[in-house]
Amino acid sequence: MITSPVKLWRRQKNTSSFIGKKGKILLWTMIRTPGKSFVDQAPYPVVIVKIHNGENMIGQLVDWQEKDLKKGKEVECVLRRSRTEEEEEVIYYNLKFKPL
Amino acid sequence: MKINILGASATKFGELWNISPRSLAKEAMTSALNQAGLKPSQIDALFVGNMLSGILGNQANLGSLLVEELGVQIPAFRMEGACASGGLALHNAINSIRAGQYRTVLILGIEKMTDYGQEDVTTALMAAGSDEERMSGATFPGVYALMAQAYMQKYKVKEEELAAVAVKNHYHGTLNPKAQFQFPVTIEQVMRSTKIADPLKLLDCSPISDGAAAVIISGEEDLVKGKKSVQIIASEVSTDTLSLHDRKTFTSLSSVIDASLKAYEKTGLKPADIDVAEIHDCFSISEAIAVEDLGFSEKGFGAKDIAKGMRTLFKGKIITNPSGGLKACGHPVGATGIKQIVEINEQLKGTAGQRQVEGANIGLTHNVGGSGAIAVIHILQN
Repeated sequence: MITSPVKLWRRQKNTSSFIGKKGKILLWTMIRTPGKSFVDQAPYPVVIVKIHNGENMIGQLVDWQEKDLKKGKEVECVLRRSRTEEEEEVIYYNLKFKPL
Repeated sequence: MKINILGASATKFGELWNISPRSLAKEAMTSALNQAGLKPSQIDALFVGNMLSGILGNQANLGSLLVEELGVQIPAFRMEGACASGGLALHNAINSIRAGQYRTVLILGIEKMTDYGQEDVTTALMAAGSDEERMSGATFPGVYALMAQAYMQKYKVKEEELAAVAVKNHYHGTLNPKAQFQFPVTIEQVMRSTKIADPLKLLDCSPISDGAAAVIISGEEDLVKGKKSVQIIASEVSTDTLSLHDRKTFTSLSSVIDASLKAYEKTGLKPADIDVAEIHDCFSISEAIAVEDLGFSEKGFGAKDIAKGMRTLFKGKIITNPSGGLKACGHPVGATGIKQIVEINEQLKGTAGQRQVEGANIGLTHNVGGSGAIAVIHILQN
């Protein structure tokens, strides 16, 4: 897979508008066998969140404890380093969720 | 126009490290041609179902590559619809015959996955998902695990009931000499197996596999004269959003409901008319939801019915995955949709040996890509 720096740059243009948005966990899972660029972070939870304006988002849950892994848990969108850099060597930041 | 199956054959599925993709393809195609009693020169076109050859093997132009193995000069096409690539290739092949462009065509499904490490394959398979899903670090087991969480919460289904899907399919696999796994597993073994993405465990998941399957179909009545042949009486495709989180429901696949309703409507058949079905059980949760979306079980009772033995060989009604399904027979993703046709063809001809569903007359195949972003349904009749 080739991840172009241009593609990463294009993708992050709308990211900032989501920072600070709040919502509730609808579903969660714990990823224990990740893809290549997430190996360093495993195991980690991935959640589907219902944002308070009604739309659903998927993202990684960070700074979590066992008790946060439940339906209805309040979370907030934060900006975090995404994954291990691939050949493009661009340090990429994207949206993740933090328990409130 | 009647679409007859003249020949259908699959290679063994599994970790086939000593067999190249070309050899796999040749084995499946030659076997299907022999069964049909046809020479390569009698094939008008080749349709190939494959997902990963470009991503993993850096090999595109698969149509031309595989025609080389047939040793003829004919039109060739590669179709891609993630894990539904095989079913999609067949659908397009049928349309080409119905349009009058070709008379007899060969459809090959193929995938070579075990040459690569687990992390590489996991990453490659996520090409079937969306950018948001990939950037979240989700994997395919992860996306289906989210569906499993939703399903278990909504219908009060226990992990043990989902595990029963894998137990059934492993039992069926013991009766299939071409299956990747030909050993039984127990509910306890599934429950104790390594966690992959909670609540899914290793034995809830289909394996990484190599394999190929080929089917030859024709609209020419002359070619089937005097022979018993199975017909494809419906071929329907539908789609849905690429991302799971963009859907209204997480406990049902709208692409499957839409494609199967069209297939039932066109044939005048009801779910209860189906004797045997090959289901896309990439994970145990997938088959539980599939038998509900196809109308075999009431909503919320798919896994419970399977746990009661209602879809098990020699015991149930509407038998699902007599081949062992993706779980036990193996899941070389592009080959799966065609292998399902090979299995149903055998079942309807009455040549499925030890795993024969007695008196099977009508069969269905359910082939899904991504987390339900594409579904292909075929109905076959003896």
